[in-house]
Amino acid sequence: MKKILVIDDETIIRLSCERTLIPEGYEVKSALGGKEGLEMLEKEPFTLVLLDLKMPDMDGIEVLKKIKDTWPENKVIMITGYSTVETAVKALKLGAWNYIEKPFTPDALLEAVKEAIG
Amino acid sequence: MKNIFLHPEKSLTAKLIIAVGLLIVVGSFVFWYALLHKQEKDLVGIAVRYGGSFIDFVKKSTRYSMLNFHRAAIQQTLEDMSIAEGVSRVRIFDHNGRVFFSSQKTEVNSQVDKKSIACKGCHLEPDKSSKLLLNPQEWTIYKARDGYRVLKIIDPIPNEPSCYTAECHIHSSKQKILGFVEADLTLELLDKAQFRQGLALTGYVAIFILAISASLGIILYKLVSKPVSHLVYGMEKVAAGNLDHFIPIKSFDEIGVLTNSFNSMIKDIKAARQQQERFTQTLEAEVAKKTEEIQKTQAGLIQTEKLASLGRMAAGVAHEINNPLTGIVTFAHLMLKRVPPDSEDAEDLKVIIEQSERCAKIIKNLLTFARAIPSEKGKVPVNELLSRTINMVRNQEKFYNIKFDINLDPKNFVALGETSQFQQIFLNMLINAADAMNERGTVTIATRKITVDNKPFVEIEFTDTGSGIPDELQTRLFEPFFTTKPVGKGTGLGLSVSHGIVRHYGGQILVKSTVGKGTSFFVRLHLLEEQVV
Ligand code: HEC
Ligand SMILES: Nc1ncnc2c1ncn2[C@@H]1O[C@H](COP(=O)(O)OP(=O)(O)OP(=O)(O)O)[C@@H](O)[C@H]1O
Ligand SMILES: [Mg+2]
Repeated sequence: MKKILVIDDETIIRLSCERTLIPEGYEVKSALGGKEGLEMLEKEPFTLVLLDLKMPDMDGIEVLKKIKDTWPENKVIMITGYSTVETAVKALKLGAWNYIEKPFTPDALLEAVKEAIG
Repeated sequence: MKNIFLHPEKSLTAKLIIAVGLLIVVGSFVFWYALLHKQEKDLVGIAVRYGGSFIDFVKKSTRYSMLNFHRAAIQQTLEDMSIAEGVSRVRIFDHNGRVFFSSQKTEVNSQVDKKSIACKGCHLEPDKSSKLLLNPQEWTIYKARDGYRVLKIIDPIPNEPSCYTAECHIHSSKQKILGFVEADLTLELLDKAQFRQGLALTGYVAIFILAISASLGIILYKLVSKPVSHLVYGMEKVAAGNLDHFIPIKSFDEIGVLTNSFNSMIKDIKAARQQQERFTQTLEAEVAKKTEEIQKTQAGLIQTEKLASLGRMAAGVAHEINNPLTGIVTFAHLMLKRVPPDSEDAEDLKVIIEQSERCAKIIKNLLTFARAIPSEKGKVPVNELLSRTINMVRNQEKFYNIKFDINLDPKNFVALGETSQFQQIFLNMLINAADAMNERGTVTIATRKITVDNKPFVEIEFTDTGSGIPDELQTRLFEPFFTTKPVGKGTGLGLSVSHGIVRHYGGQILVKSTVGKGTSFFVRLHLLEEQVV
């Protein structure tokens, strides 16, 4: 079973992801922030990380760098607010697989996840 | 004219007349004196000559009686002679001054004053014979008691053989001068004539002075006072502010020249004042214009600032709202999957999803607006940015049926500004064009270099074949939240934000539109460089 880690400080975002993806047969775990997310990644492997760009404890870009440094094969999809072209490009350059814009629909999320890990 | 009499010190004419009068008086006096002096000399000379011949006559008349010693006859002769007009006295005295005969009988045997000319005419000191004058004075003039002058002539009676050989033996042969004949001849007539002459001359001079003064006064009044008073009157008028006063020129002398230059001076002053007034007026207009411009700019700045803070606030709020909105959308979708399709619940859920998506769109636009806040000044490669932006939209559904007519100047224009901000402006222009053409038509994009107020600008033209904008709406285009698009499609911030950005970098946006034919927007940006490719 493909394991997905959602790193977002917003409960509703985590919940939305879980409720969208679990029925589709994914195992979804959540972390409340960047640090917690990295800790969980060290404990167990995940196929995909959904990473919020803006969090209070750690910048999403920083977390992305760490993940890509430690687990280069790990795919990451960024969750952004209304993104500027620049931040999106920056994230992609740093190794992010893709990005989705908030607010997203379940279909959009599912589409992006499927495109990444099938 | 009054001044001549009341205040001679204030009247040029009076001063001139006084000066000329004084000159004439002094001149006449000198002339008069010289004339009288010469005349006197001549007249006295004549009188002396007549006196001399009179004495000769006395000598001759008495000679016979002298030689025969007829004293009484001599005395009688002298008395008779003094009756003649002009003869005051005739007498004969000897070298010692003793009077022997006189027309005034009482004087006989008296002594003449040795200090008088009777002796002093020849001697400095009559008691000493040695001192004789080289030029003996034989006559003198003195004033008689009646005020008229008297000519006194003394003539020596020289010794001669017939005298000392005469029978009476009174004179010795040693004596050189026996005595003197003295005649006092009155000059009354001469004095009277001279006085009359002087009187007449003074009279003439007085009349002359009067006549000269009068004619001089009239001439000066005509030639000087009147034109000068015209000038003075004119100057007073000018001083009082009347610049339309013109002094007629009546002569071609210095005063005419002065009047002429005065007139032209007034003309110049008038022209200068008019120019100054015009200048003041234009200055006022200029100041008013500039004030208005400044107020407009200020209003614009306040507006931009207001929008900027509004944008910052909106951005913060929008970011936060995105999270709950994601939840709403997600859960509405999840529910939608659970309820039977085409049920009332399904329809209701669709409304929730639609409205959430509308919220999302509004937030997206608000964030676009927030990002439009002018930041650092920099360089924007206009052609490159335009090409990139066009390529970006080309791949979007909205632009599938739109033909792009691209006429970029071959030169690479570099404008003052910020790339991401300008990209937003260009994007909005293209989206507006697409909307106006119902996503079907031609968009022309062109760049060119222009000059405004001597400064180089790059002008970017966006022309569409859309609906056009009615005149009454053209002024409102740049107002924030002005939109004609259906609710949810446009927020009316695009042009207002674009305008703010362009203005921030000293540029401007112009519109030209014909309803039914299309619209052209011209974005003018400060040109920094133009690179020839
Ligand atoms: C016209 C000129 C003349 C006048 C005027 C005249 N004398 Fe003489 N006097 C002479 C001359 C010349 C001599 C010298 C020769 C002579 O003795 O006749 C002289 C000589 C004298 C002598 C000295 C010689 C002598 O006669 O012994 C006395 C004194 C003198 N005069 C007195 C007088 C007195 C006084 C008067 C006035 C009343 C006078 N004289 C007027 C010409 C003048
Ligand atoms: N090319 C055009 N042709 C006709 N009308 C135009 C054109 N461009 C702008 N407009 C008019 O000006 C209005 C304001 O445009 P603006 O770009 O400021 O806002 P918007 O496009 O309505 O909304 P937003 O850009 O914020 O999504 C538009 O609603 C439209 O009526
Ligand atoms: Mg617009």
